[in-house]
Amino acid sequence: MADVLSEIVLPEDLKKFEKIYHEQLYKNDVTPKAQFEYAWCLVRSKYPADIQKGIMLLEELYKTHEEGQRDYLYYLAIGSARLKEYSKALNYVRSFLSIEPGNQQVVSLEQTIKKKMEKEGLVGMAVTGGIVLAVGAIVGFGMAIASKAKS
Amino acid sequence: MDEDILTTLKILIIGESGVGKSSLLLRFTEDNFDPEQTLTIGVDFKTKRLNIDGSRVKLAIWDTAGQERFRTLTPSYYRDAQGAILVFDVSSYATFSKLEMWLNELETYSTKNDIIKMIVGNKIDVDKREVSREEAMRFAKRHHTLYIEASAKTKDGVESAFEELVHKIIQTPNLWDSYEMNNIHIGNKGQPNQSTCAGYCSLV
Repeated sequence: MADVLSEIVLPEDLKKFEKIYHEQLYKNDVTPKAQFEYAWCLVRSKYPADIQKGIMLLEELYKTHEEGQRDYLYYLAIGSARLKEYSKALNYVRSFLSIEPGNQQVVSLEQTIKKKMEKEGLVGMAVTGGIVLAVGAIVGFGMAIASKAKS
Repeated sequence: MDEDILTTLKILIIGESGVGKSSLLLRFTEDNFDPEQTLTIGVDFKTKRLNIDGSRVKLAIWDTAGQERFRTLTPSYYRDAQGAILVFDVSSYATFSKLEMWLNELETYSTKNDIIKMIVGNKIDVDKREVSREEAMRFAKRHHTLYIEASAKTKDGVESAFEELVHKIIQTPNLWDSYEMNNIHIGNKGQPNQSTCAGYCSLV
């Protein structure tokens, strides 16, 4: 079932707000509102390239438009999670919660992201991956010592 | 896990900023209240399972931001909703006056013609009331919606609001998938708006 990480933007919405954004871009006068509305549609697209573009627009807004920062952070987290860039998504969640601790909506987003990671087996994989890396490092280190001793 | 679920219903919560939409939802889904509830960003989402008239239904509830800045985008969430909760704050007449506008929004953007509407007067725990129960009831009756008074803070009326709404949706089978409805009364199929508020208004 659709939730905030899986619901898909209506194509006509995406088109509508894309048009407004591009018209303003053409006149070299993009308002934060138009940019945000377009980005909001993009991060809810089913195409990763759109989501990526939405994230870019939100990052730019985050740097230039202080007033809407909490909105931008929230949708940066959603966009990243939709791209399966979970650690990035959780970083956005954490920076949000450091400003507004206990924000209900963001805490529940964090849970949704973690649940999704679990479902995809990513939590386990991260641990196994870490062990493989550690073993690799030890072996590599041992070999380096051995080769040093030889020479 | 989902086999015993009769159907999943999409419910929408709309209304002015600060009237308590997210608080009502938090009380209903987690039996919790946050006195410092912050402004919702865009749209939030929660699910809840409910037993109504002997059937288990799953609710997918979309809680929209009331702030003006999100207004251009929130209507796309109205699509396919079977029920809508319109919230106002009984201690703020301005939020009550805006209900007409919210009903128009629903009329414009909802895709199901017989979507069930319920008006909820929230914050009845507050001393200084600006909207009387009678006036709100008259308004609800005129617009063929259900009406309930509630307080997310004290819990009063919250559960009944959602239950009544779902009950009414279940009674309107053409709103939802109509397979396996052996034990559901389908007498009023096709005339969902015929009943007046009086029959369905439960007041706390």
